[in-house]
Amino acid sequence: MTMSQTPVPARRPVLNEGVARYLRALAQPQGLVGCGLLLLLIAAALLAPVVFPGGVDQQSRDSFLPPSPAHPFGTDELGRDIFVRCIYALQVSVSLVIVSVPIAAVAGTLMGLSGAVSRLLGEGFQRLFDIILGFPSLVLGICIVIIIGPGWLSLVVTIVIFSLPQFGRLARGALLSEEGREYVLAARVLGVSKGKIMLRHILPNALDPIFVQVSLSMIAGIFIEAALSIVGLGIQPPTPSLGTLLNVGIRYVYVQPMYTAGPIIMLLLLALAFNLIADALNAQALKTRGE
Amino acid sequence: MLAFLARRLPSVAFMLLATSIIAFLLPRLAGGDPAQTIAGADATVDQVEAIRQQLGLDQPLPAQYLDWLFGLLRGDLGTSLITNRPVGQLILARLGSTLELALTASVLMIAFGIGLGILAGSVRKGAGRFGLDSAISVLLATPPHVTGLILILVFGITFNMLPISGEVSILRDPVTGFSLLLMPALALALPQAAMIARLIQARMMQIRQEEFVDFARAKGVPRSQIVLSHILRNSMGTAVVATGIRIGELLAGAVVIEAIFARNGLGLMAVDAVTSRDYQVVQIVVLGAVVIAVLTHLFSEILLAALDPRIRLE
Repeated sequence: MTMSQTPVPARRPVLNEGVARYLRALAQPQGLVGCGLLLLLIAAALLAPVVFPGGVDQQSRDSFLPPSPAHPFGTDELGRDIFVRCIYALQVSVSLVIVSVPIAAVAGTLMGLSGAVSRLLGEGFQRLFDIILGFPSLVLGICIVIIIGPGWLSLVVTIVIFSLPQFGRLARGALLSEEGREYVLAARVLGVSKGKIMLRHILPNALDPIFVQVSLSMIAGIFIEAALSIVGLGIQPPTPSLGTLLNVGIRYVYVQPMYTAGPIIMLLLLALAFNLIADALNAQALKTRGE
Repeated sequence: MLAFLARRLPSVAFMLLATSIIAFLLPRLAGGDPAQTIAGADATVDQVEAIRQQLGLDQPLPAQYLDWLFGLLRGDLGTSLITNRPVGQLILARLGSTLELALTASVLMIAFGIGLGILAGSVRKGAGRFGLDSAISVLLATPPHVTGLILILVFGITFNMLPISGEVSILRDPVTGFSLLLMPALALALPQAAMIARLIQARMMQIRQEEFVDFARAKGVPRSQIVLSHILRNSMGTAVVATGIRIGELLAGAVVIEAIFARNGLGLMAVDAVTSRDYQVVQIVVLGAVVIAVLTHLFSEILLAALDPRIRLE
């Protein structure tokens, strides 16, 4: 019997099994609360134009009204409802990280795993990660703003570059620990191509910590937006984002504390949601490894 | 020790070289023609060309880079094209403010980080453990700017205990200076302190499992001494390196913290310089921040190697 006649076992449904596992993880209490909170915030952000049509820029003479049932967070210097602006601001924060973190996750993971295909390439990316890690997040943000100008795009680029090494390092770690295992050697002996070994054999073993990191990078991204927008190098007014609201809010902190507290509440709710999700995923990953 | 340094120095040198190239390229990547900026809008082509030659911008890029780099090494940080003053002077004028903030924050970071870490590593059950774990998690998840704003809301507005913005040099008026410094320094220090505490806690937990701890216990060494001279002694390396790594982030946090608390430091200067397109200033601040971060990291590793022979002999 030659090799070509050996019956090839049907491909195991690796991903489907995996998807089921992650769903089970999110069904844990903290996962459910986290997902629920996140969905609630996203739904609020998406439905804001329907529920509060035109409310985001609606000015009135009633500036700095204290919080009341009509204006839960009070009104700002132009008489606009701060709560409505906070909800609108969620659109920017959430859209930013939903675009940038997956890009960073895919690119970073591939860069980290690239050592399986070419040792030189893998080493090169590690040096690149070293350089990026040497730049504190805000210094990196400033450099990007100088090159492409302040705004949504430069925030996306900042968050992508800032998150790349985190995924790259995780993938690299998985690569180094799996590379010498027997199943990888077996695949190599059978003549499976390097690219396929990387994606089909090593990648699934790297996924757990990467999904946890996706959740954590979302938090980091949201906070980076806030930081750069507070100093005026992020989203530009009049678009409300959590950072631009804080930029103005802090100037009026004596007359309207809710102008500062409102965006912070939203920031912390988002961070809490992603943290709970990360916790749930992490617990599942540890359980699978039997720890 | 020399062998250890010989192993570490190439990567540090590579990092510094890469950073200097990035900092050098920043103004050039930003677009705009510095010669045109200086000459003004209604200068003739010849005038712009003359200024370009005077600035050395007609040279090839590598020559410009080397020229700039050797200038830096001689202490010539360049001249701001916007204010027409030497960048070194501009930085010196703001350095004191940021230095006060960074030093106070570093002291607080080390004190809180090591204190919390040792506490969390020693208290292993009950409400104390839960409280410490939660406190560290919350601090860890809240970045400096959010911590700063929360401190303002709590201590500045609700309890009205501390002034929320402005600055007075601590050398001129220690009491007012310190009361203005406390909140921004805490905001910078707490998130990094939580990171250090978490690492020390994990390391202490790990060392508790080691055989030499079991052996000491079997020998009848008192519990407090086991913690002090066996567990803590072996965890200090982690504390040193963790501190070294966090200094860079702490400095970068100053950018936002200075803006929030209206302190006229280097961070605020960098932000203003980006807005006014004063790239000669930004490039030096960026380079300085990264160089300080890389060097403190290296310094902490040297300190660790001095403390722990296993590292330098490996």
